[in-house]
Formats: sequence, C-alpha cells, structure tokens
Amino acid sequence: MNEEQSRSLQDAIAEQLSQAHGFTAAEAQELAARFAPRLKKRFASWVRRELYLERRRLARARAAEQTAAAEDEGEQFERLSLNVRLQHGLMAISVIVLIVTGIPLKFHESLWAKEVISLLGGPDVTPIIHRVAATLLAFVGVWHLLYIAFTKEGRENFRLLLPRLQDAKDAIQQIKFYLGLTDQRPKFDRFSYVEKFDYWAVYWGMVIMIGSGTILWFTEWFLQFVPKWVTDIAKEAHSDEALLATLAIVIWHFYNVHFNPHSFPMNKTFITGKISARKMREEHPLEYERIMKERAQRGGEA
Amino acid sequence: MRIWAQGLGVGLLAAGMVWAQEAPGPEVRQCSICHGKREFKKVQPDGSVRPLFVDERELKASVHARWHCLDCHADIKTIPHPERLEKVNCQRCHFPGNPVGAPEEVNYEGYVESVHGRLQRAGNPKAPRCQDCHGAHGVRKASDPNSLVYKRQIPATCGKCHPQVLEVYQRSVHGTTLLVRGNNDAPSCSDCHGEHQILPRKEQASEVSATQIPETCGHCHGSLEFNQKYDIPVNPVKTFKHSFHGIANELGSMRVANCASCHTAHAVLPPSDPESSVHPANIPKTCGKEGCHPGANVNYARGRFHIDPSRRDAGVVYWVALFFKYLTVSTLAALILHILLDLRSKLQKRAQGHE
Repeated sequence: MNEEQSRSLQDAIAEQLSQAHGFTAAEAQELAARFAPRLKKRFASWVRRELYLERRRLARARAAEQTAAAEDEGEQFERLSLNVRLQHGLMAISVIVLIVTGIPLKFHESLWAKEVISLLGGPDVTPIIHRVAATLLAFVGVWHLLYIAFTKEGRENFRLLLPRLQDAKDAIQQIKFYLGLTDQRPKFDRFSYVEKFDYWAVYWGMVIMIGSGTILWFTEWFLQFVPKWVTDIAKEAHSDEALLATLAIVIWHFYNVHFNPHSFPMNKTFITGKISARKMREEHPLEYERIMKERAQRGGEA
Repeated sequence: MRIWAQGLGVGLLAAGMVWAQEAPGPEVRQCSICHGKREFKKVQPDGSVRPLFVDERELKASVHARWHCLDCHADIKTIPHPERLEKVNCQRCHFPGNPVGAPEEVNYEGYVESVHGRLQRAGNPKAPRCQDCHGAHGVRKASDPNSLVYKRQIPATCGKCHPQVLEVYQRSVHGTTLLVRGNNDAPSCSDCHGEHQILPRKEQASEVSATQIPETCGHCHGSLEFNQKYDIPVNPVKTFKHSFHGIANELGSMRVANCASCHTAHAVLPPSDPESSVHPANIPKTCGKEGCHPGANVNYARGRFHIDPSRRDAGVVYWVALFFKYLTVSTLAALILHILLDLRSKLQKRAQGHE
C-alpha cells in the first residue's frame, strides 16, 4: 500500500468514526491514525491466508482428478494373494517386534536403548517378547516353505522369483537408464531384480537370524554338543546381521515400496493385494503382456 | 592391693584433676601407676583375661601424642575409676570446625549408614567403632606403613573380625601381590568395599553389589594399559559390558553373572592357576553353579572369554565381525546409491511430466 492509499484508508476510518459513532473530527482523526496500521497488517495477513487456502484447494482438486484418472486407467489386478499378504503381515509384525526388542541390546550403552528396554518391561521381560516374536517369524518361514512346495500359486511365484541371467541384464540396463546412457527402461516380468533381491535377502537373513538365534536361545542345550566358540560366533552374527537387516528394511525396502515418489507415502498393495493396470504396464510390462495374451487366447478358444 | 589403690585414688583425685588441666606428666603418671604395668590385667567373669596395660610409647608415636588419657577417656572423674567406662568417642574432637585442629574430613555419615554403623546402633557389642579399625592408642595416619589402616595393614585389620575372608584373600592374586610382593597396585579390602561406607552386597548402592561390581573392578581393570601390565590381554570390564552377561547386568538384571560370579569375590586367581575358578578345568563347575548353567561341561571352556570382536586376538569372532562389517558397508553403499539414482530419475520424470 502506498502513501496515498494509506492516507485514504485513514480518512475512511475517520469518516466512519465521526459519522456513525459520533466522534468529533479531531478525535476521529486521532483514532483513525492509530487504527490504520493495525488494520493494514490484519488485512495483509488475511489476504495471504486466503491465497494459501485457495492454492491448496486447487492442488487438492488437481490431485483428486489425477487419482481418479489413474484409477480409471483400467482394472485392478491381484498382485499379492491373501495367503501371501498374511505371510507378509505376520512377518512384518514379528520383525518389527524383534527389531524393537533387539536393537536396543546392540546399543545398550546409549540412554535411548535403556529407555526402550525399561518401557517394554525391563531386561527380564524383553527377552520373552523377543522369543515370542522369533517363534512367529520361524512359523512364517515354515509356512512359506510349505506354500512354495505345496500350492500351485506358491510354486508359480517361486519359479518367477528364481534369479536368472536376465536379472543381471535388467540391473545393468536400469543403471544405464539412470545415468542417461539409454532411453530404454528394462521391462520387468512379475518380479523385478529389485524385488527378487528383497526376496532372497530375506532367505539369507532368516537363515542367519533363526540359526544363530536358536543357538542363543537354547545355549545350554547346544553347549552339550558344541564348544563355546560356536555360541560366540552365533552372538556376533546375530548382532551384526540384525543391524544389516534392519537397515536394509528401513532404507531399501521402505524406499522401493513406499517412500519413492511413485508411491509416497504408502503403497497399499500389501493390504489390498491389488495393483492398477497402469502400474502393471509401467512396472511389470512383461507380466501384463502375458496376461493380456492369455486372455486373448482364452477369448479365442471360447 | 585394692585397698591401697582406693586409698591412693581418693587421696590424689583432686590433685590429679587439677594437674590434668595443666601439665601432662603427672596425669599420665597417675594412670600409668596401674596401666603402665605390663602385668596389669583383669580376669573376666567368663574366665578370659583382658590385658589392661597401655604402652605409653605407642601413644607417643601416634598422631595423638600431644593428648592425654583424660582427653579421650573423659568420663573418668575419680581414681580408681568405675569398672565400666564409656567407649571413647572420637567425635569429641573430630567434628567440623573443632577448635583443637583435629582432621575434620571424617566420614561419620558413611560409617553410620554402613553395615558396621547399623550393627553398632542396633547395640551389637561386636560391631566395630572407629578405634577398632584405626587403633585405640596407636592411631597413625593411613599413609604411615605402621598404621592399622595403611593399605597393606588393612587385610589384617579387617581380618581380626573376618578371619575366613582374610584366609581366602591372602591366597588370591590380589592378596599375594599386595601382602607378599608388596605391590600397592593390588587392592586391599577397602579398595573394593569402600572405607567407611561399607554396605552389604545385596544393596544396590554397595560398591560390591551386582550392578556396581563392574565399576568397582573397573577402577583398576578398566583400562587396557593396566591389564596389559599384568598380562591380561584384553580390557575385561569393557568386554564384559558388551557380553550378554554385561548387557543384562547394565540393564538391571539381578540374576545374571557379574565379575565376582565367575572370578569369585576374594579368591581371585589368574586362569593359569589350577586353583582358579576360571582355570579351564574348573570352568564347568564355575559356569554350572546353581542358578546359572547347571550341567555345564567342558564345552564351556572351549573358546575365548572376554572377547573384543574388533581385536585380532578374538579369534574366529574377529573374522565373523570383519565379514559382517564389510558385507554391511558394501551392501548398504550399493543400495543407497541405487536409491539415489532411482530418486533422481523419478523426480526428473515428474518434473517433466508437470511441465
């Protein structure tokens, strides 16, 4: 507001005061001189707030439009069956509990670790919680082995998860694409090399953690048969692999699934099991093509 | 004899009291008429003999050389004095701001709260008072090798009441190093238990309670230099704190093993000594203690103890730790690089998409 506008605002207030409220001209001028700056400030902040709200309204409307458009983009495919989602859910719960009750032991010297342990019931209670969660994890492991051995869906998924030379080629292609050396992104089937890595990393983690954890749980039984240094190795491996697994989950898995710009803040597939046709075409083009081809064939047969 | 002493006492009482105020000689001589005789003793009702001889030279060599009998034995008003006298109260002089210049930094509060002080307040006649440890007439500075509370004299002083502990301690590496080899690096009783504030080990505040023991042993064994000086290759306190026993101990578990659980409290010996509780042959018995790992066998002794995974002498554990260190660093470096590349690519694409 320039000088002139400011002047006229003050005059307007003065006029209003003298006419509607019966102040003398001098009084009105004096009061108006006091009111005008404050009014100006209020007005400016009100304008800013309205502008901000308006922009947010627009952005929301645009986002809603986009999601609607995206959801319109074709049907929802089943990516994770209920069986797989239950396996994943139980594993996630047990791993989180294991991390919360286990990692403080690795950082036992820091204050937060002591706080966490005492919050969870103290050093005589957290081992019990840890072992309950460990049992659950081992149970999920057995469940998964039975799933890939005895269900058709499991066998099919497992076949598609086996590492192949194509995965290495895909990885190189992907890096080239990232570096701008090619415009061609690798075309993935049902499981990309990133997803296969996650899957097989869990095997490694399960073998190390359940193996060493069992030795640590039943130390006295194992020591009937093995020398103490075996339990020392188990302790070291359990502690070190725990950190590696935690960091891999929190950094790598969470980024690739949830926190990357395509899915942020959360990819709901692990709950709904569904994936949109658009995402299918984008992330699993080979699988999408295969499904479409199969449908066309079935359509032809029928 | 008795009549003679009484008569003399009555006759000299007033004079004695006056002299006591003025010059030392006559008063001391008054007391030494009886107590200066080496054969002066009393047969107790239970038949035991209590010597009542006081060696004047002992007093003269003590820190209290300039004080006289009645300065401490203040309840003597007549000679002969009553059979039962009050115990000497050191607080008569040793209090903050005392006018006679007696050392003031006396830890009475610590003593009163200590197990000794508690027994004393409860009326236990065997509970030690100041003079029982510091000496009655021969009080000397703790730095004086002839003092009862000089480092190398303390075991004998405490052993007056705790003879079994003294016997075990004398055979330990701490006992032989201190008492036989005369090396003051080794601890005497008070280095672990505290001086005045000695608390029962069941109490958490005690220097030797389960949770305090690592700190207490760590006063000496807490630095690698000290340990290497005595052929202990690792820092046993640090490595203990990183073990399962140590972590549980730190977090407040009372069931878990602390230093003394394996090394014993007083019979500490190096693992090379066949008498030691941590000698490989004795490990099964030590680990197999009731409440620990009953049924422990020789496998418990196969492997290193007090492992520091970052040090080469940790053996196979060192290599396992090293493997995981490189595995973790390289894996995470690769994964984070992949994430950053992916993030850049996706953000670029989004920026283009919005244009």
